[in-house]
Amino acid sequence: MPDTSKGEGHSSELRYEVFNREFMPHIDSMYNFAFRLTMDEDDAHDLVQDTYLKAFRFINSFEVGTNAKAWLFRILKNSFINDYRKKSKEPSKVDYQEVETTYNSEDTPDSAHTVDLRADAVQDLIGDEVANALNALPVDFRTVIILCDIEGFTYEEMAKILDIPIGTVRSRLHRARNLLKEKLKSYAGSMGYDI
Amino acid sequence: MNTPNINPVESDCGGKVLKETCEHHEECMKIIQLILDGEATEDEKDHFRNNIDVCLPCIKSLELEKCIKDSLCNKIEKRPCPEKLVALIKEKITSSKE
Repeated sequence: MPDTSKGEGHSSELRYEVFNREFMPHIDSMYNFAFRLTMDEDDAHDLVQDTYLKAFRFINSFEVGTNAKAWLFRILKNSFINDYRKKSKEPSKVDYQEVETTYNSEDTPDSAHTVDLRADAVQDLIGDEVANALNALPVDFRTVIILCDIEGFTYEEMAKILDIPIGTVRSRLHRARNLLKEKLKSYAGSMGYDI
Repeated sequence: MNTPNINPVESDCGGKVLKETCEHHEECMKIIQLILDGEATEDEKDHFRNNIDVCLPCIKSLELEKCIKDSLCNKIEKRPCPEKLVALIKEKITSSKE
């Protein structure tokens, strides 16, 4: 019986089986993540396709029984960064590295303010309004909220996906949530809700 | 004889005195988020348990954070991956296998 724990030397049949069993079930989550990163259906389409093709190409480095979803999300995140940086060569595009540095939570102190927002104002918001607030965040803050609150990854998994220390995951999430509250308050206020 | 409440930052609610200001709210906010994320240490959980019943700002913040987390998880539309994309990926994988 072949050792199926590691991908080394997997037969073609076994690679296909692993791909279908371990990777394909996560395609909806992957598509949603890709869309929230790119904010464009065509780009999300390309990003998911590239990610799954890469995942199959490097399937031998995937250890069966480990977290396939986290493994796939890491590939997608890296593909997004590489593709975004490639696109940022165009003069009209923002440089991702510049955006990341500007919002790096290690460089700027934590805000000591608390956002004055009522829970029932948030409850009154519909999905589109919540999504708009999320989409308005800078991409690295949007990413940690998606990974934690929507996809349910642990901090440790997020650290591996994003290739950052767990401490940075914590602080970035905290800052992202403060920013999100500000956006939600702004949307709720503009909709006429009692905030 | 009633003793007047000389502490302006406390209010009496059903016999339980609730703080109306939190002198370390930023730290409490971090712990609240760790609790809701399931990532708090035992010490952080103890801090939370000891303070949450008596601190009004923290009670409100907990409610708000729960509400936001719930909204993100349940209100935002989750689109299924387009069937054409699924089929295209499977076709490319199959053709590379042959």
